[in-house]
Amino acid sequence: MRNGTVLLLLAALALAGVVCLSAPGTAAAKAATLASTDSGAPSAIVMFPVSAKPNPKGTAMTPTVFNHLNHEKAVAKCETCHHTGDPVACSTCHTIEGKAEGNFVTMERAMHATHIHKRGNGTTPTSCVSCHEDVTRKRQECAGCHNIVVPRHDAAWCASCHNVTTSITPEQLQQGIDGTLSLEQRESLAADTVHTPKPTRMLTPMDGPYKVRIDALAEKYLPNNFTHRRHVSSLMEKIRGDKLARAFHNQPETLCSTCHHRSPLSATPPKCGSCHTKDIDHRYPDRPNLKAAYHLQCMGCHKAMNVGRPKNTDCTTCHKARQ
Amino acid sequence: MNRRKFLTLMGSAGMVSALGTAKVAKAGVHTFPYYPDSYGVLHDATRCIGCRRCEEACNAVNKLPKPEKPFTDTSVTGTKRRTTAYAWTVVNKYKVNGKDVFRKLQCFHCNDPACASACFAKCFQKQPDGSVTYDGTQCVGCRYCMVACPFYVPGFQYDEAFDPLVQKCTFCEPRLKEGKLPGCVEACPMDALTFGRRSDLLNLARARIAENPGKYANYIYGEHDAGGTAWMVLAPSAAAGKQDQDAKDAKEEKPVVKNHEDEFKQLGLDRHLGTQPMGELTYGALGAVPMIVAFWPVLFGGAYAISKRREARFKAEKEAHVEATKNDLAAAVDAAVRKIEETQGPGAADTARRAMAEALKSREMTSAAEHGEDK
Amino acid sequence: MADHSIVIPTRDKLFNIREFFTPTPGNIISGIILAVGLVITLIRFTCGIGAVANLDDNQPWGLWIGFDLLCGVCLAAGGYFTTVACYIMGQKHFHSACRPAVLTAFLGYAFVVVALLYDLGHPLRLPFMFFFPGTTSVLFEVGLCVATYLTVLFIEFSVAPLEWLSCRFPWLIKWRKILVMCTIPLTIFGVTLSTLHQSSLGSLYLIAPGKLHPLWYSPFMPMFFFVSSMVAGASMVIFEGMLAHKGVHHYMDKTHLREADEVSFAFARAASFILFAYFMLKLIDMLVQANLPYVFTGYGAWWLVEMFGFILLPALLYAKGARDRSLTFCRLGAVNAVTGIVLNRFNVSMIAFNYTLPSAERYFPSIWEICISMFVVTMIITVYRFVVYNMPILYEHPNFRDGH
Repeated sequence: MRNGTVLLLLAALALAGVVCLSAPGTAAAKAATLASTDSGAPSAIVMFPVSAKPNPKGTAMTPTVFNHLNHEKAVAKCETCHHTGDPVACSTCHTIEGKAEGNFVTMERAMHATHIHKRGNGTTPTSCVSCHEDVTRKRQECAGCHNIVVPRHDAAWCASCHNVTTSITPEQLQQGIDGTLSLEQRESLAADTVHTPKPTRMLTPMDGPYKVRIDALAEKYLPNNFTHRRHVSSLMEKIRGDKLARAFHNQPETLCSTCHHRSPLSATPPKCGSCHTKDIDHRYPDRPNLKAAYHLQCMGCHKAMNVGRPKNTDCTTCHKARQ
Repeated sequence: MNRRKFLTLMGSAGMVSALGTAKVAKAGVHTFPYYPDSYGVLHDATRCIGCRRCEEACNAVNKLPKPEKPFTDTSVTGTKRRTTAYAWTVVNKYKVNGKDVFRKLQCFHCNDPACASACFAKCFQKQPDGSVTYDGTQCVGCRYCMVACPFYVPGFQYDEAFDPLVQKCTFCEPRLKEGKLPGCVEACPMDALTFGRRSDLLNLARARIAENPGKYANYIYGEHDAGGTAWMVLAPSAAAGKQDQDAKDAKEEKPVVKNHEDEFKQLGLDRHLGTQPMGELTYGALGAVPMIVAFWPVLFGGAYAISKRREARFKAEKEAHVEATKNDLAAAVDAAVRKIEETQGPGAADTARRAMAEALKSREMTSAAEHGEDK
Repeated sequence: MADHSIVIPTRDKLFNIREFFTPTPGNIISGIILAVGLVITLIRFTCGIGAVANLDDNQPWGLWIGFDLLCGVCLAAGGYFTTVACYIMGQKHFHSACRPAVLTAFLGYAFVVVALLYDLGHPLRLPFMFFFPGTTSVLFEVGLCVATYLTVLFIEFSVAPLEWLSCRFPWLIKWRKILVMCTIPLTIFGVTLSTLHQSSLGSLYLIAPGKLHPLWYSPFMPMFFFVSSMVAGASMVIFEGMLAHKGVHHYMDKTHLREADEVSFAFARAASFILFAYFMLKLIDMLVQANLPYVFTGYGAWWLVEMFGFILLPALLYAKGARDRSLTFCRLGAVNAVTGIVLNRFNVSMIAFNYTLPSAERYFPSIWEICISMFVVTMIITVYRFVVYNMPILYEHPNFRDGH
């Protein structure tokens, strides 16, 4: 990027501003408790990796905080998650090793399985991951990105959920695994986690260029002036306030990484042409050439979001024909 | 008796040839060499947008006649078209679970091509680079290749009076030799066509399926179909289309696609070709040819010998029988004549002998005339 | 023999063609068909196949292959069937049927090649298959066998023209003797070649399992084609005898007339057996291939029509005819069986072929294609008549009475 330094400065300024603004708010929330749920279930709970076997060393996966309140609002009926119809804790049947009651489906599978076989009786269980994937692929505002990229399942992705507050003590963790931690403690740990501020601040449309002139390929057609800012702001506008997006878009550049994929996250990503050569590179036959790369990204997103315009074969809407 | 024997022989001969067929088919006498380093193209139907750039490029590269409607008219993809002698590739629109999907049709360049197996003048060749080429200078114009092709690809110049040829995609073999990509691959603005070594393309296709769960039908068309083809197709999963429909109207339960056959069937691709090269279906029958050539003369020669022998024996028996009857008659005549001689004297006996001999002779004549030619 | 009505060409009057010039309806119709055929031939060879035929890329083989080639070859099977029965199986009383059968077979095959020239894009390149032999092709085998068998038939048949011409060129008698001596090897060679290419006509379609309807497609198609060719051979001898008795009765000598009915009954019995076997083969094949569900579809109904109306029915007619010694039933059976064979070949090559295509893309022969096929058939009949008028086919030449 030509004006990378300026951008960085802007980004730093914005970050500073956000930190200043949010600091007093966090302090106030520390003391508050969470709003109560309609169902009477705890508003947020810590889900410990419950095991039938004793785990004397206290080593375990970082527990997950499940915001019951938010999820209760998002799904239509309790059976979506409590697929047996009985609102009990998941770990009742799904433990680390799996139990007969849970058809030996382990807790790991119960939370992460994707492509779950459709059950004949109508209630197909869903895991956290499968439900989130489903939602992101179907919701129009998410579908554009989530149909052309699959989120990288890296440490940051895991930490989006396995995020219990760092103030948890080893004793608490041990008790939690054994199932002896009191409900109050679990709830307070959960509330602590929920109220922990998220330090990240997403990049804003203003951090990117206003327009990008794509002229590397201009031959039959005139260069295209890609309205970068308009596209980013429209995407951001649509998911503003969306809790799911906020929970998982946990890096400042997450949203950028749909188009600026594969390279490390950065506010100043490399140009498309750095990897996508004009003619296909015979060493990487699956890497689209530059033209195809543009078309696949643009059309993939537009198609997934059901953007009717422009038609895929309507070339001159994006780049005027050369006279 | 004879006819029955004839039929029995025929029947057993049929059985023998059928058994021969089975055995020879297993041995697999004729097979085309398989080139492990050959090239191929992977057509990703999820990427194709039906812009017809490939058709345009094909037309230009191969100097084919201009079509009636310009290539910019994408509406023609809506009608079901096939490849012809003057359009070696066409893009058609299909509905896969209600969603528009485009697929490019061209020669699949089979590993063991049916057309090459069917051609009786050796016009078609599977080249080591993967292409199936056609040499029109020795084409007789019988069009058996078109009957044989399971993909309905080759077209014939029916309008040509003096030099009508079969025409089909050449994989741009001349361009490959120059180190260039096939015209259509180069022109594709979506990289819906990926050129590479066939073995690499298979890995690449599998990686695409794995990396995009739910996007593709879990099947690479052409990996094994009809013995494997150089050009292969990835189809969008029907479930992906279904999801979108669900999003539109969630209440209605759409029938669940049971297997991947549906997706490819809706794309106009036949999943029932089996994994053996089409030509192999005929090799069993062809393998029986030497059997018949060797066995039939023996069989019918033997039948001839049997009938000849039987005829001779029959004739001998008949002659012996005739001889015996003759002797019997002579003895009877002698006895009668002797009696007449005793009672009426030698004159009467002579007359009687003469009369009897004449009667016998005339009888013999008539019977010979009647049964002369009978079996 | 004192068959005074038979005109035997002599040294001075070698040709006996006055019958072609009497204005009978047959002659007039033949003349019209031949004239039209010649015009279409001209168009075909100057403007291309597309100018006269409805053939297209989906249906590269139409009426010219389905009728002229498949049916032509099959219906010419009388040649090998009769000669084998007479010479190899020792059924000497079929002798008078041999020459007409060989003649028909020779003409059938010769005109199959003629018809093929219409269908080929490059008719002059037909011999290319010997220069660039595609040995993996069934068509190569068919071509090779048909070419060889045509030669064999020509040699077998040429005894008659030699007898005819020997009155002017007596040195031909020596050649005739050599040919007569070759009868048995030629017959055996002929039946071998016939078995090969009759079955191979079925093998041609083995390569297109996706295009031919499963009720007709079978790995045993070569066997079906061969078995049905035997029926066709027997039926054509009866059928042709029936027509010959109408048209060229006065060229038959006493032996021929006496043996003709016997031949009909014997062949009817044989054909009846083979037809029953063929019926069972097809039925079992359908069951073994688990094609029963298809039987209850539209194509299934059509298949049943073929099975019962054109295989079982002629079998029964033949059985009745042979048992009651009723010539009428035999002839009915022959007509039924011949139409059945033609129907079967039409089904395989046209009606059940490309069954998956929508009806708009299906093939129906153009009127000109039909005309060409009629033209070819008329040519066969005309040449047949010429041969029968001049050569000792339906009678024994008085100079060569003891030929066998």
